[in-house]
Amino acid sequence: MLSRVADSLYWMSRYMERTDGILRMLKINYASSQDDITKFTWRPVLQVFSYLDEDQIEVMNRSSKTVLKYMVVDKDNPNSVMTMITKSRENARSVQDHITKDLWQCLNEFYHLMRDERLYRSLMVEDPVTVLDTLIKQGLLYYGTTEVTMARGESLCFMNIGKYLERAIQTVDILDVKFRDLSADLETPMDTTSWKYFLQSISGYEVYLRSYRSGFEARNILDQTLFNVNFPRSLQYSLILMQRYFERLKNQQSLSSHEEVNFMIGKLKSRIQYSNLQTIADVGLHTFLNEINRDLYAIGNALSQKYFAYS
Amino acid sequence: MKDTTIFEHYPVSPQTWDEMYEKGYVRTPYSGVSNFLNQIPVDELNKKEELAKKLFMSQGVTFTVYSSGEGIEKIFPFDIIPRIITASEWDIIERGIKQRLKALNLFLKDVYNDQFILKDGIVPMELIYSCPHYLREMHGLKVPFDIYVHIAGIDLIRDHDGTFYILEDNLRTPSGVSYMIENREITKRIFPDLIPQNNVRSVTEYPSILFKNLVSLSPRQVSNPTVVLLTPGIYNSAYFEHTTLARLMGVELVEGRDLVVDNHRVYMKTTSGLQQVDVIYRRVDDDFLDPLVFNPTSMLGVSGLMSAYRKGNVAIVNAVGNGVADDKAIYTYVPEMIKYYLNEDPLLKNVPTYQLGNADEYKHVMTNINKMVIKKTNGSGGYGMLMGHAASEKEIDEYKSEVEKDPRQFIAQPTISLSTAPCYINGKIQPRRIDLRPFALCGPKGIEIVPGGLTRVALREGSLVVNSSQGGGSKDTWVLSV
Repeated sequence: MLSRVADSLYWMSRYMERTDGILRMLKINYASSQDDITKFTWRPVLQVFSYLDEDQIEVMNRSSKTVLKYMVVDKDNPNSVMTMITKSRENARSVQDHITKDLWQCLNEFYHLMRDERLYRSLMVEDPVTVLDTLIKQGLLYYGTTEVTMARGESLCFMNIGKYLERAIQTVDILDVKFRDLSADLETPMDTTSWKYFLQSISGYEVYLRSYRSGFEARNILDQTLFNVNFPRSLQYSLILMQRYFERLKNQQSLSSHEEVNFMIGKLKSRIQYSNLQTIADVGLHTFLNEINRDLYAIGNALSQKYFAYS
Repeated sequence: MKDTTIFEHYPVSPQTWDEMYEKGYVRTPYSGVSNFLNQIPVDELNKKEELAKKLFMSQGVTFTVYSSGEGIEKIFPFDIIPRIITASEWDIIERGIKQRLKALNLFLKDVYNDQFILKDGIVPMELIYSCPHYLREMHGLKVPFDIYVHIAGIDLIRDHDGTFYILEDNLRTPSGVSYMIENREITKRIFPDLIPQNNVRSVTEYPSILFKNLVSLSPRQVSNPTVVLLTPGIYNSAYFEHTTLARLMGVELVEGRDLVVDNHRVYMKTTSGLQQVDVIYRRVDDDFLDPLVFNPTSMLGVSGLMSAYRKGNVAIVNAVGNGVADDKAIYTYVPEMIKYYLNEDPLLKNVPTYQLGNADEYKHVMTNINKMVIKKTNGSGGYGMLMGHAASEKEIDEYKSEVEKDPRQFIAQPTISLSTAPCYINGKIQPRRIDLRPFALCGPKGIEIVPGGLTRVALREGSLVVNSSQGGGSKDTWVLSV
């Protein structure tokens, strides 16, 4: 496969994964903002998903309409859903011969949906939840179409590597910001509604209820989002899947490059596997997450160098 | 059978061949379509037109117009009423194009090698050497099977008595074939059952014939040669066509930056290292192919590509330097070429053409300028034309002074009225001018033409210019089997 094509597939997939993350986060936070506006702030969402500085966040963090407009339809925001979908579709457009026609049409329709005037109007004056739901569904259509139609070859491997790397980065970022925001520590039980909304925003609420019996506790939440391999957004799950798809590339690339990147992924995966809440507490949560994040970015860079370099 | 419904007030222009009507009556091949359209209420037709637009949009059958930093998706206008070519008309077209293409291929081989046709004085030598598309770099270069034109899009028009004429030969990188394929797909969706009922021949073979031909050109004797389609990239207005063809043939779609030349061999940069490329179907113009040989500022090409080509390590489709054969001044000599190389009479006529480089012809054209169309010999896309019958005194004067600078670069043709076909525009059926571009494929086993083509429509009322860049649209083109 052409390096440029692999690069495009990888980024197409990363942007779609980020879109899904942003949309779910927006939907639940919007619901939360309608619930208890005195305590509610958009700050954590903006910290994770935008490049705004503290002052700019201060200006908009209490206005749901402004945040939604900025995060969904603003063309100048490099992390808005609009920009993500435009970029994802642009990537897909240049690799149409490597994805199925169904998948291309799905992304193309998503793009035209984003640019529809009616969408903007609904978001601003009608019901934002309906709009967010529609967009989430269009994203699910993308996941389903990928699953059902894409050949199990190199293309899908690069897409999945991008998807799970993006998901791992998001999970780490979200945890870091949320724990900082609530000044949570691993010992004291915390305000439950805010944790409930947090779990919902990462689609982890039901799993949590079934796994833990003792109510909402920071340590359990951390346990689930880092270690629970049955929870599809957990860090460990993402790393396992990333490694699985990367291993399938073994025959495609000169052995040394493959081994180098595989080593990095395996090392990180082992680190998570042989960590627990106690060892995290020893180094401090923020430091721990920062180190993980650094390793994830290093993997991304290694992929770029070894697999995607073409110019 | 006289129509009374939506075809009422269908004004056929005098001295014009209408594809559907003859003296107020529907021609037999069109009766199926006419009956069908008459059964459908107008709002139903509007819905079908809407559906066609939606299908083009969601499938991404679009080109992007960039303005103020963002891309706007446009669809190439599509008229829902098909254009029909009967089996006997197609027979003439098919034989005529095959004959012409055979001669043009021989001509290209000749001008880039022995130049018999120049030495025998059939085609004037100065015409060749003054053509900007004549490339010295191609001299003495051996191309596989002596085929230069692998893909040709030859434009035909019909005069007032229905005779087909060759308007121009496109032998470089003719585009539009994806619309031949997509228009048919759309017709299948908007008019269920109509195609089988009318015995329309299929156009789906095109990609497999092309692929088979491309594979056969591989210089390396390997069972699975690497064929790639070289595109200028996503900003090119024909990008949709490039992706469609790549997908339908199952070949890699590459950009110049994906390729590299090492030791006179072309490679593509893949995730598993460099992979040798055997055949390049390029949709990049000659001038941009290799910055070391042609335009040095080109970002679209591959440095060293021509050296690999000269060594015979890679096949390029269409061959480089074909522009000398579809130059509009050379066009005049194609009937003589057919006579010279094949000893046959041309089956399809040329439109009479005057060389403005010739003083007598120049004078004739200027005295009859109201009946003439003047074109640049190397122009395309309908740009830089003067339509004598519609131009003002001022426009004519300005154009004249442009011609004076270098008359060799201009030709003139008498205005041909072009046939009309019914189009569904704003809820009414109206006549519009059309042409026809069938796509011919030339391989080691001979020339094949998929029964169909691109019918271009001048959507503006009264306009004679069908180019998409000048407000043209297209129609599905049916070739009937009986």
